[in-house]
Amino acid sequence: MNGVIEILSNTKLDYKQKRAALSSLTENSLPYVDISDKARKYMEDGIICNLNEGNAPYRPRYILPDYKKYFENGSEYLNIKKPSDMYEAVNALLIIYNYVPSITGYPVYLGNVDELLEPYCDTVSEKELENLLKMFLVNIDRNLPDAFVHMNIGPRDTRVGRLILKLEENLKDAVPNLSLKCSKDTPDDFIKLAIKTSLEIGKPYFINHDELVKVLGENYGIASCYNALKIGGGSFTLVRVNLKEAAKLSKDYNDFIERVLPDVIGCQCEIINERARFIVETAKFFGTSFLSREGLIDISNFTSMAGIFGLYECVEILSGMKMGADESADEMAENITKRAYELVKEKEGLYCYGYGGKIGFHAQSGIDSDIDVSAGVRIKTGCEPEIFNQIRLEGKLQKYFDTGVSDIYIFDRTAKSNIDGVLTIIKGAFKSGIREMTINTSDSQLIRITGYLVKRCDIEKYEKGEPLREGTVALGADSIKNCRILDRKVRGI
Amino acid sequence: MAYINKIILNTFIDGPGSRMAVFMQGCNLRCLYCHNPETWNLCTNCGECVKACKKGALYFKDGRVKYNKDLCVKCDVCIKVCHNNSTPKYTDMSAQDIFKTAYDNRDFLDGITLSGGECTLQYEFILELFKLIKENTKLTTFIDTNGYMEFDVLKKLIDVTDGFMFDLKALNRENHIKLTGYDNEKIIKNLEYVSKMGLLYEVRTVLVEGYNDSVEEIEKISKYIFNLNDYTKFKLIPFRPLGVKGKLSNMKQFDEEKFEYLYDNSKRILQSRLKE
Repeated sequence: MNGVIEILSNTKLDYKQKRAALSSLTENSLPYVDISDKARKYMEDGIICNLNEGNAPYRPRYILPDYKKYFENGSEYLNIKKPSDMYEAVNALLIIYNYVPSITGYPVYLGNVDELLEPYCDTVSEKELENLLKMFLVNIDRNLPDAFVHMNIGPRDTRVGRLILKLEENLKDAVPNLSLKCSKDTPDDFIKLAIKTSLEIGKPYFINHDELVKVLGENYGIASCYNALKIGGGSFTLVRVNLKEAAKLSKDYNDFIERVLPDVIGCQCEIINERARFIVETAKFFGTSFLSREGLIDISNFTSMAGIFGLYECVEILSGMKMGADESADEMAENITKRAYELVKEKEGLYCYGYGGKIGFHAQSGIDSDIDVSAGVRIKTGCEPEIFNQIRLEGKLQKYFDTGVSDIYIFDRTAKSNIDGVLTIIKGAFKSGIREMTINTSDSQLIRITGYLVKRCDIEKYEKGEPLREGTVALGADSIKNCRILDRKVRGI
Repeated sequence: MAYINKIILNTFIDGPGSRMAVFMQGCNLRCLYCHNPETWNLCTNCGECVKACKKGALYFKDGRVKYNKDLCVKCDVCIKVCHNNSTPKYTDMSAQDIFKTAYDNRDFLDGITLSGGECTLQYEFILELFKLIKENTKLTTFIDTNGYMEFDVLKKLIDVTDGFMFDLKALNRENHIKLTGYDNEKIIKNLEYVSKMGLLYEVRTVLVEGYNDSVEEIEKISKYIFNLNDYTKFKLIPFRPLGVKGKLSNMKQFDEEKFEYLYDNSKRILQSRLKE
């Protein structure tokens, strides 16, 4: 009962956050899903971690509803008809968002909103359109106060896409997270507008659409931090391996590659599959969700995700060398990534029908409690090499990740007056294999923590003990302390 | 071969787009406000810096000062103690070396900019480098210059250069001499020729209190640029004491309010052609 009292009397949590914490406490009163002693031991030792997902998962971690289908058919469960104008379209989206489950309790995917709303543009005046979209964005920020709530735009240039960028630049809210899919057909002018926005507010992400289409097909979305998943599907779970800790169990590099990594990833996949089994077979999610009944999601589009992080420290422990500073270290980093990818792909992914029965591979970006361990396959904050070398190395590594990977590049404020220069660098990055990237300036009021944003001023409020709408502020504040987020190298000085 | 002070692979302020900037050693003007006077001269191997370096990054070999980058902590004490306005850190590089760096990074670049010091002092190197760039890449070639060069040198450079950025210290001849030690006649002639050729990308003026910051002077420069052509951008830069040696080393940063006033004045004349 102490746990309950602690939650109830926590002055830093608001009502909804307390309710979520109580719900987790209840879930965790059940034993953990049925896994082997060895897998359990790896979890206890911090080598495998399931990112506070809870002992008895009753919904997939990430869900990407097919909002296009929702617009075509309406929803019987929600008593929503096919929208006939922009008002109804915006209203229909705001309603369904509250019914999309996820690990956080908030929808992690809001849809390719520009494509969804563009057909209704002519039903309202220019002014109404802007007002409606502003209201839509403000509503999302206030009612879904979680920085993992993620909206997509692009690759096509649309009025709605442009307006969202313009409004977001003015609103300067952390929510929603935002991604722009960029293809070879996306006009430079549209990408440049996004760059201008991004240098002010740290979003959108720039997504290498052509590259992701090769991996996932046209029908994909970017959810939560930067998870690339199929629309109408999602991921049951995300379980990650701490490569730094795994390296500590190894005698040397060969031992790591041949013995430790296969053993740890074997257990990681075992945990993943048991969690997926629990969601599907015990919690019977697909039998109970209206999203499933109405065809807005289908198990055939789902997968699970196996994440890795701490590659930088892993290489350092195994070789004494540093990624980004030594070519042999870079080579080792790629070999480890490739080996981990192959080991994950050797295993059967239970109910992972969306990925041909395989578990998706993911570069996990770290959480607030990580100390002295780098996100995913990123170079340690503050130790980044010259920017083009960093991009080239990350480009080599990103190609292995089929469910999300990203890197963050911080530019000097002079970049704001040279948007063309930034565009060239983004295009060069895509050519080098970068799949997902984000940019920002060092003086931005919004800080990209790992994959999500928080406002600088909200962190100050949190430090003073003020309750805040967004639970992600707490995660961000702790990450800044533990992961040296603000030490990222500034480019273009 | 050329004397190279520094290479910056990623800059947004040295011309259009993403650029690699190469700063060359040696200068032919002696601007009082120069913030990198260590680029003026070549090393005389006097050894003062070797004595001053606490990290052992500098040493003598065959009577010449050598620099070990790996031991350097970038404290710049070597630059501070140099009486010769030089640095032990510049290197000797071939056009092929620099070309290779630009070529290897071409996917991330729009072009290359040569700066200084005064890069045109080593114009033969520039001709060789820019020719290589033009023959093998789509990168644009820019020169950041004080304009103090012989006309036939300029004509040769124009053949391989896509844009020039001129430092115009002052339009008034006396002010120019006071600030740089040299007449500006040659500079103005060159600037006007480059303008006529459609290659004058940008003109820059550093505002120095009591030298070139009168309302009349800045208005005169702004009008001059306005009437020069319809495309050149102008950038006003406030004086900063960082790195300055000699007479102006104790001068304060240029007054913000005065800068805004002069900027607004210039803006009225040049509109969008005045850079922020």
